[in-house]
Amino acid sequence: MSPAFTARPDSHHVDLLRLPLVGSFLHWRHARLALQLPLLALAGLVVVHGLFGPQLAPRNLATVLTSIHWRGLLIVALLGVGNLFCTGCPMMLVRDAGRRVSHPALRWPRWLRGKWLALALLVLVLFAYELFDLWSLPRATAWLVLGYFALALVVDVVFAGASFCKHLCPIGQFNFMASTMSPTELRVTDVSTCRACRTADCIKGQYEVRPARLVQRGCELGLFLPVKVGNVDCTMCLDCVHACPHDNIALVTRVPGAELLETRRRSGLGRLIQRPDLAVLAVVFTFAALVNAFAMTSPAFAAEQRIAAALNVRSEAPVLALIFVVGLGIAPAVLLGTAGVITRGLARREPATLRHTIARYAFALVPIGFGIWLAHYGFHLLTGLATIVPVAQSAAIDAFGRAALGEPVWRWVGMQPSSVFPIQLGFVLLGAAGSFGLVHATSLRDHPSTATQASLPWLALVALLTTTALWILSQPMEMRAVSFFG
Amino acid sequence: MLACAVSAAWAAGCRSDPSDQITAEWTLEPSPPLAGSDVVARITLHDSARNPVVGAKLHLEGQMSHPGMTPVVADVIERGDGIYEGRMRLTMDGDWALVLSGELRDGSRIMKQLDVAGVHRATG
Repeated sequence: MSPAFTARPDSHHVDLLRLPLVGSFLHWRHARLALQLPLLALAGLVVVHGLFGPQLAPRNLATVLTSIHWRGLLIVALLGVGNLFCTGCPMMLVRDAGRRVSHPALRWPRWLRGKWLALALLVLVLFAYELFDLWSLPRATAWLVLGYFALALVVDVVFAGASFCKHLCPIGQFNFMASTMSPTELRVTDVSTCRACRTADCIKGQYEVRPARLVQRGCELGLFLPVKVGNVDCTMCLDCVHACPHDNIALVTRVPGAELLETRRRSGLGRLIQRPDLAVLAVVFTFAALVNAFAMTSPAFAAEQRIAAALNVRSEAPVLALIFVVGLGIAPAVLLGTAGVITRGLARREPATLRHTIARYAFALVPIGFGIWLAHYGFHLLTGLATIVPVAQSAAIDAFGRAALGEPVWRWVGMQPSSVFPIQLGFVLLGAAGSFGLVHATSLRDHPSTATQASLPWLALVALLTTTALWILSQPMEMRAVSFFG
Repeated sequence: MLACAVSAAWAAGCRSDPSDQITAEWTLEPSPPLAGSDVVARITLHDSARNPVVGAKLHLEGQMSHPGMTPVVADVIERGDGIYEGRMRLTMDGDWALVLSGELRDGSRIMKQLDVAGVHRATG
């Protein structure tokens, strides 16, 4: 068999698939469906209330469930368990229904493979979110959800495999990068079993001979378990677990972020350090966390006003575009470029090009990026967690004309913002600690004799990102939706 | 099916909204309101025949445009002749919506909204 069979059984790690109850549930053939159905019902509620309910965002399930609960719980789940929201993605349920009618015959075009297109869509979604203030528009949120479902359905009934997840889904790319910080990973238990395996059901799936039909999918994202490394591109759909006839796949606990140091060739991806698209995704993931958090502060609004005056424009689009170009393009290019140049100067005998040096360290920024996303989305989740109660009560009044769930208790919101700040501080500092550790580990890997010197510019960059994040999070928020020039 | 049923219920609820028959005239003091300071909202309610709406049990909320931000809730006092008054403090800079909601004397529900964009703290 292939010498690339390097997955390591890790006896000292816990296998969640062997735990009582949890393991039984995850081994259950309909485990994913059990997660998808509630999320599909919630998506239905989002669409219906978004279209027909009140158009005041704090009173509508579409904006409340997506802006507060879905985003917050998604990032918390990524940190606490893994890529659970891809596991429970209701769009795949609709797609599967579509594939009962139309069987895709085409493969995703080779020239569109990689993450560039999905990366562009991710930036576009983040930009549109700020430009159109989607968090304040229930009806637009409902249409966005419907559009998302439609796109996933259309793409995946035309193209085989999980083309939408792997090549297009912006949320998926965010989750893939964030899931490098998750504490679990699907991994082969015993490599020798894979060496002896002649069917490779984990990727090909299981087929019934008569009548000829697929009875269990293999990995649709092209991750061959014996050479799968880490969580990138893994939707945790558990198809591999169900397909493996040898029960040789484990969902093991692991050190979050450690996979970012792996230089082994990854199934379906190649080597991480040889994928510039993934390196750019890591950088965008990190800097977008800052831009996204900054956009809701008073200084951001003041800056927008000043830029608009300087450019003599009365539309938010060019101003926001400039902020995005600077925040996600120029600033990262200058900062990472400078750090790369200094590293190459300080660490003698650097064999790689500047681009390679930057790509190798770019992944070390993911933990601080994750910490900022967690601090931001965690803030909204903690300060708005209980709003689902009055909003649901209000929605019941909308639906039935009477207080079927009681009078809305609008005072039910969540924690006070001031009491959440220490928690945010902890998240950011935890992320910074992770990035500091990864920077140093990267230097030890690539510049063993001059690791400290090589690390210095990147440690300074992480410190700068951390300071910037803490400054942003300490700023007064200014929730603007309609009054750019008001 | 569930979504269709709920959708139909919501659509039906929207059609029979008694709020459509009531007009609300808002007066804010000060105008525009300032973040961090009290604002008094005076709302005059009339029915479709321009008669003052009396005896309603109402309350006032200040909601930010972003969901999940702490709303401000105030009791509403009836001043007579269809005039209702509530006092609240808008806690944060940004776009607010004031929402008057509750029950009319006949038990039907009412909701009226006033958007207050660009609330700022007093300068100087």
